[in-house]
Amino acid sequence: MEQRLFEKFHEWYENRHEYAKGWKERTGGKALGYFCTYAPEEIIYAAGVLPVRILGSHEAQSFTEPHIFAMFCPLCRDCLAQGLQGRYDYLNGIMIAQCCLHMRQAFTSWQKHIPQEYSYYLYMPHGIQTPRAYPYLRGELEDFKKSLEEWTGREITNKDLDHAIEVYNENRRLMKQVYSFRREKTPRLTGLEAMEMVVSSQMVDKEEHNQALKKLLKELPNRKLNRSTGTRLMVLGSEDDDVEFLSMVESLDATFVIEDHCTGSRYFWNEVIPQEDRLAAIAARYIDRPACPSKDWPKRTRLPHILKLAKDYDVEGAILIQQKFCDPHELDIPAIRSHLETNGIPTYFLEFDVTVPVGQFKTRVEAFLETFQLPTDLF
Amino acid sequence: MSKEFWRWPEYRRTVPGKDWKNAEVVTAGVDIGSVSSKAVIMTDGELYAYSIMRTGSSSPDSAQKAMDRALEETGMKLDDIKYTVGTGYGRVNVPFANRAITEIACHARGANYIWGPKVRTVLDMGGQDCKAIHCDERGKVTAFLMNDKCAAGTGRGMEVFADLLSVPIEEVGPMSLSVDKEPEPVSSTCVVFAKSEAVGLLRKGWPKNMVLAAYCSAMANRVSELLEKIKVEKEFVITGGIAKNIGVVKRLENIIGFKALPIQEKFDPMTAGSIGAALFAKALYERSAKST
Repeated sequence: MEQRLFEKFHEWYENRHEYAKGWKERTGGKALGYFCTYAPEEIIYAAGVLPVRILGSHEAQSFTEPHIFAMFCPLCRDCLAQGLQGRYDYLNGIMIAQCCLHMRQAFTSWQKHIPQEYSYYLYMPHGIQTPRAYPYLRGELEDFKKSLEEWTGREITNKDLDHAIEVYNENRRLMKQVYSFRREKTPRLTGLEAMEMVVSSQMVDKEEHNQALKKLLKELPNRKLNRSTGTRLMVLGSEDDDVEFLSMVESLDATFVIEDHCTGSRYFWNEVIPQEDRLAAIAARYIDRPACPSKDWPKRTRLPHILKLAKDYDVEGAILIQQKFCDPHELDIPAIRSHLETNGIPTYFLEFDVTVPVGQFKTRVEAFLETFQLPTDLF
Repeated sequence: MSKEFWRWPEYRRTVPGKDWKNAEVVTAGVDIGSVSSKAVIMTDGELYAYSIMRTGSSSPDSAQKAMDRALEETGMKLDDIKYTVGTGYGRVNVPFANRAITEIACHARGANYIWGPKVRTVLDMGGQDCKAIHCDERGKVTAFLMNDKCAAGTGRGMEVFADLLSVPIEEVGPMSLSVDKEPEPVSSTCVVFAKSEAVGLLRKGWPKNMVLAAYCSAMANRVSELLEKIKVEKEFVITGGIAKNIGVVKRLENIIGFKALPIQEKFDPMTAGSIGAALFAKALYERSAKST
């Protein structure tokens, strides 16, 4: 029975489109697809709209060949492929909070080729390490709010914003509580379960997600996983919702105890700190969140953050993954590897594509794990 | 049927002057690679017999075939082997193995045994992949890199070229060195593209040795990238089938600026992984004996 604790999140993860369609039918509301986790979901939610993160499906495809360069990352191509195949045809609109070039290409191509009643490009600044970023983003959020109001024909009041902020903050708090069970000597959830929990939160009405999290948290303290924890691993890098990869690694006497991905901790790690100016509060949350490497310059704030996660979660080794051609992560990975290794955490690097060569990756990950697992008396 | 020039000879060998019956512990390592399967039998941690066979479509059958061949002429039966470790891409499909360990760990361990504790960098040039491995004085892996998905710079690529040019695979290396002037490498190491490029060169009138030189050179260049990334440290050794291709080895040594330790007469470099596996088997057997 205890193995089924994460079943709800798994179901949502697997049936994301059915969920959104059902939500629309049930509520009569609109759904807005977003391309990157810098999207200020609180404002969308306050407008009574369901924010749905657009992600890929990890299937080989050729639909995007005429629209996106082959040397753009697999994720942006996979996302666009979903749109071109009509899998997100229930969306009433799409938006992007400015992020890397590749995702922007997926967004603009989607805008051009897939008819939408609404689309919005939010100028989320790249230069976030300057005090000017806060008022700048606040202004952009104001424009976005107005645009949503025009689209939905409904005013977004302070009360709506307060409610959205509270629901989102609660979701973040609850997921952080679940993550605390990954710090234990014998974690009470796997990395795959954590990923499905977080990614499902990016597609499901957060109030509903919160209910499921509360239910989970009642039972989680008593859960005993019928598996060995093995080597405690961290995984970090580009977007990663590759179920096949995560479950392959966790079948090798290892557990992902923490990650730094936009499909994991990076998505929900910090809350909106309430202030009278709600939009300023939301802007500050997105400026101050654990950064994506496309915005983490000139100072690399990710280094101390990642090392702290590794220490807090008692990580033995880290797997760094990069979606092929993902330039921001490619630029960061050498610095992160060196920082972790200098601090005694061995690393291993893998390059991901839409699908990963599981057989070869298994050999590579297993060999990495053997450096921890093979007892010294075998040599 | 036309001659298949890629076919390297399968063979077996028993180290002369040894009687396995005097040994305290007999262990084995079976390395099921994508192109070749190797079975090594060791007595008290010393090489006793081995076989090198081509891998078929079934890993369990290939493992059985390699082991049967290694056992031939020894009077030994499978049951006499106390512990077997499977390695290589088919490592989990060795039916009679007690445990599987990756070929990366096994090549480092095997190279340490063959060439001694000074080995720090092992380049395993296998049938369909290539690995650069760092190890410590005990043969324990400290870091490694593996090429990505394609077969460029691997044994299978060399087989394709042997067939294309009708040159027996063992002669490819020496023939590639018989050129007066080193040609530019073929521009792609992708087996498919390089093959069509080679066809173009032949049409232009290039002799076979020049085409082989251009391919061996491209392969050495490609593999040197892995070594450059991992930073090759002395002593440096090459394992796997390509270690026997002097045309690639010499060119690689020229690129990196120093020599690999020479092939040891007693050991076939293709068996480094299975030797490592058999050594792990001995240690694991002793461990299990201690705990019971």
